[in-house]
This record gives sequence, structure tokens and C-alpha cells, in this order.
Amino acid sequence: MKRAMISVLLALSVAMAGAQDFKAMLREIDSLGDFGGQDFTATYTIVSEKPGQKPETVQVRVYRRDERDQFVFLFLKPERQKGQGYLKVDDNVWFYDPESGEFAKSTIKESVQDSEARNSDLSRMSYADDYDLEKSSEGKLGAYDVWILELVSKDSEVSWQRVRLYVRKDKPLVLKEEDFSVSGRLMRTVSFPPSYISAGGKQIPSRILIVDEINTGEKSQLTLSDVAVGRLPDDTFTESFLKRAR
Amino acid sequence: MQTAMLAFRNLSRQKRRSVLLGGAIAFGVMIVTLIDGFAGAFVDNVSENFSNLLAGHVFVEGVEKSPKGRDLEIIRDDLALREAAEAAGIEAMYVSRRSGLQGSFKFAGRTATLRVQGVDFAAETFLAERLALASGSLENLPRDGIVIPEPIADKLGVAIGDRLLVTTRTYSGQQNVGEFAVAAVIKDPGILGSVSAYAGRDYVNELLDLAPDEYQALSFYLPSLKGMDEAGDRLHAEVSSRLQAFERKAPGAEGENPILAMMRGEDEETWTGVKYRVTTLNDALAQVQQIVDVLDTASLVILLVLFLIIMVGITNTFRIIMYERIREIGTMRAVGMQRGQVRGLFLYEALFLALGGALAGLAVAALVMLGVGLIDFGLDSPLFIILRNGHLSFRLDWARVAGKVAIVAFLTLAAAFFPARSAAKLDPAVALRTAV
Repeated sequence: MKRAMISVLLALSVAMAGAQDFKAMLREIDSLGDFGGQDFTATYTIVSEKPGQKPETVQVRVYRRDERDQFVFLFLKPERQKGQGYLKVDDNVWFYDPESGEFAKSTIKESVQDSEARNSDLSRMSYADDYDLEKSSEGKLGAYDVWILELVSKDSEVSWQRVRLYVRKDKPLVLKEEDFSVSGRLMRTVSFPPSYISAGGKQIPSRILIVDEINTGEKSQLTLSDVAVGRLPDDTFTESFLKRAR
Repeated sequence: MQTAMLAFRNLSRQKRRSVLLGGAIAFGVMIVTLIDGFAGAFVDNVSENFSNLLAGHVFVEGVEKSPKGRDLEIIRDDLALREAAEAAGIEAMYVSRRSGLQGSFKFAGRTATLRVQGVDFAAETFLAERLALASGSLENLPRDGIVIPEPIADKLGVAIGDRLLVTTRTYSGQQNVGEFAVAAVIKDPGILGSVSAYAGRDYVNELLDLAPDEYQALSFYLPSLKGMDEAGDRLHAEVSSRLQAFERKAPGAEGENPILAMMRGEDEETWTGVKYRVTTLNDALAQVQQIVDVLDTASLVILLVLFLIIMVGITNTFRIIMYERIREIGTMRAVGMQRGQVRGLFLYEALFLALGGALAGLAVAALVMLGVGLIDFGLDSPLFIILRNGHLSFRLDWARVAGKVAIVAFLTLAAAFFPARSAAKLDPAVALRTAV
């Protein structure tokens, strides 16, 4: 009898898991970073640690207009990189260096000034659009019950071919993300401690910890501040904005 | 003719002075000839060394537009390219198909960035002959074996058999990780150290997420450097008639590398499928030609500056000669020598001095070139890219040499012209009365 009860409970939990609409969950996760017709502005402070080196701090002001898939990253710190920036126009990402006054073609997959963070971490991305769910399971992460979602990229044009997400069961909030190489090796772990900033009616993680799983001891912590949601002037997303920003 | 003979005799009468003046001219000619000889061989040597490194003189690369509009470097099927090469009459000594990855290599906490050429060692047999190995072997290379340059091996602290972890990107830009086993170490290739690593194309393709028969660059190694641009043009015409191809030459900014100008132009283009880029080693080394242009200009400037100084010396010396021979000039004029002949006498002396000095300068330059050319800097010299088999080499363009000798002769004649004119204008009676 006891065995039968356990079997029924197991079957029920499997059925419940199967009933869970993970596609919708991914959309909900995506929507936390989607401010609709509004523009998003925030300052990211990235502290990177490498064994045997002093921690390095990079501060980037991020301007995003998701409805047109545009962004501008402007470096505020360190002093030697102040005024440098990235601009996304159409499908092209350009890097601006005020020393030369030139724009050079770049990519969203580049790391942000030698930290573990990539440009794609600061811009909007979509799990629902870019990935297919391959497998789901349940688990526990710290005090939280979580869904563990194994995602595989729909095409080869996103940085990570495979991503494992740990999503809170009580709310569609990602607590941890593991990014895998094409060869299947864990390359980095991104943790989102449960501390949030409210902006534009959405909850945004205020801190992100990125651990390099290839280079032991290398990690970066991203902290958000000065978050604002609202309409920005149109010329924010232009070359001239970066040129005069310094 | 008599005037010329007289001029020649006058020069040999004042041997010491002639040797000093001729020596100054010879020195100037020698310096300029050495620079010209070095610049002449510079392009050939750099091109030759780069053609060995890049395994060719004419290259074809495929650029595929991804569904999201990104440009991906890939050649999936080269049948049409091979047909185009045949139709273009490309007679290559070797044809190479290579892939390449840029990776961050790690070993025991140390990191080095390196570009790895994915080569088919079985097909590129010539590579084994050209790589100067410091240790290890290219025989029985494991699938994940890698050949790295000595400075990188030293930086990472690796030895033969050690395994290197590499983080890289696939051809479409996705993150990937792999491991290579160090199979051989090549002697320090100097400035090319960061691009002189080789591994089997199969494994490089796996890391790039390419199929085993796919690759990124098709190269044709021609029998000689001559005619590579014409071969590139013919191949481009044939590729364009069969497939989509980028313009062979793109209008670039002044001083901009033609390949970079071409790629910048491609950014602004839209297309579907694969489009091919045909380039030559000369396109890649356009900046080398700029260095040669700078050397040529420097050689001309040095020639002019040296000869301005030498001209002052020649003018003064010919003035002294005129005063020393003033009574002799008076006598010659008194017995019927015309003004033009007196002027000609001085100018012939200057011309013989210029030609003698130039010939001596060329001879000394030839000896210096021969001597320097015998020095073996070794294949592991940091200068290897400008050397030919470890030796400095020189190549003179004889038309340019003749041009420079003509300039020397003209400047020497110009320097001697005013003293010659003064000598010609002397009144015979006054000249004969003058006490020297």
C-alpha cells in the first residue's frame, strides 16, 4: 500500500512537472528584462578577480532601447578606459575608442574589458527565442525549490550552445545559470543572489556573480545601480552620443 | 677627345685630391646602393617567407551570410572553385585547404593567445620541410597534436607531450573548449610567433564546429612571386562567372590595407548564401610595399643631402684648382684654346671624378653586400621574416642604379660648372700676369 502511494505521488509529481509550461516560464523570465516601449538605463559596476592580481573595477553605463534592439555601453571606469564604448546599430556592434576617435567592428560575444562578463550579459537576451528546452527536472538550490532547465541553442549564433537554468518554483526568477561550450564542458557559472531592484514594474537582480570554470579562481561580480526606465532622447543611440560623452 | 684626355691627365696629376673627392662621391653612392639593395630584396624576402607561412600566393575565402545576417567564414564545397582555378590557368605547386582558430591556451596557470592553422599534414607535405623544429616530431602526429613556436612553449612552460587547454570560438562565434597535446616545438619565428602554430585540420574543425571536409581558406602556392596579381585577377574573373564574388579591389582610404578595405566594403553589402573573396599575398603585404617606398624616399633624400655637402666640397676644390692653374689656363688660351674647351676641360674632370667615384662606390657596396650576405643569422633569428634562408640578401634594380649614377654625375657637373665658367671667362693676358 505504502509503495503504491509513493508510486502515485511520484507519478503525480512527474505529471505536474510535465504539465508545467516551461516555454511560458522562459517567456516570463525574458519579460523581466523587457521594458516594452520604454528605454532602460543602469550603471553596472564589474569587479573582476584573478589569482595573483589585484581586483579590477570597471564601471559601465548601459542605455538600452529594446523595441529597436539598440544599446550603448559607455565606460566610466577605469580612468584609462573612460569614454570608450559600444554601440549597437541594426545588426552591427561597434567599439568606440576616444583616443583614436575611430569606431571598430565588434561583437556582442566579446568580454567586457577582460572580465568574465560579456557584452551579451549587459544587453537584452531571450531564452525563449534563442533556446529550445531539452530537459527539465526538479531540485533544490540553497533554501529554494527550483526547476532545472536544460536549454540548447536554436542556432549557432548565440554565445553558449547549452545553458542550464535554475529557476525558482515560487516565482519565475533565475537563481543560477550554467553555460556550456560546444564540446559540452562547463565554462562559467552565473549566480543571481535573491536581491532585486524594482524598475518599470519589474524585478531585476541587483547583483550577478560570474565564475570562470575554466580558469580556476577567476570571477567577476556585477552590481547594478542608478536603474531608470523611461524614454531616452533618440540621439542616445548614435555615434555622436559616444563621441561627445567623454 | 683631346680635352677629355687632358682632363683625365689632370686628374691623375693630383692623385691625392682626386682620391679624396672621388672617395666622398664613392661613399655617398655606396650608402645609397646598400639601402637600394636592401629595399629591393626586402619585399621578395618578406613575400617569400609569408607565402611559406600562409601556404600560398593566391587565396580564396568563403563568406556565408547566416540566417541572422552575420558573416561566417566557411567553404563548404569547393568543386566550383577548383573548376574556376583550372579555367583561370592557375598552375600551383601546392594547393592548401586550411581552417584557423584563435584561442587562449592555458597550462599550469599560465596563459598565451595563439592563432592555430588547421592543416592537412598528409596533403601539405612541404610544411614538414619548411618548419624548423626545435624539439618533437611531425611524424605520427596525434589527432589533437599541436606544433607551437618556441616562445609560446617557453611562456607556458610546456614540453613535448604536455596537454594544453584552449578556449576558443566556433566559426559562428560560440564558445568552445578543447585540449591539444604538444607534438613539436618550432624555432622562434620572430614577429610571427603568435600566428605560427599548426594542428591537424580535423581537430581544429571540430573545435570550430565545422565538418571534416569543410575549411576556411583555399591557397595556391605558385612557382614564383611574379605574376601573382595577374593570377589573382584571372581567378577572380572565373570565380565571379560561376559564383558570387566580392570586388577584387575596394577603394580604401590612403594607406589602408587593400584586404581591410575590401572587408570594410563587405560590411555594407547584403547577400544570401556564400560569397567568395579572392586576394593575393601582395594585397596582404601592401604595407610592406609602403616600407619599401619609405626606404626608396630615404635613399633619395640621403643621396641629395650627401651630395649637397659633397657639392660644396667639389665647388671649392675646383675654385682652388682654377687658381692653381690660372697661368696654365692663360697659356692654353694664348696658344688658341677656346673658352668652351677650357670649360669642357673642367667639366670633363668633374664627370670622370663622378663616374670613377660612382664605380668605386658600387664596387665597395657589392663587396659589403657579399660580406654581409655571408653572415648566417640562423633560421631562428627574430629578423627571419626579412632574411632569405637566414641570410640578409640584396637585390639591385640596375635601371635605378643607373638613374642614381646619372643624378650623381649631374650634381657633380653642377658643382663644377661655376668654377669651370669662371676659368673659361679668364682673360689670357690677365691670367698670364697673375702670380700664384
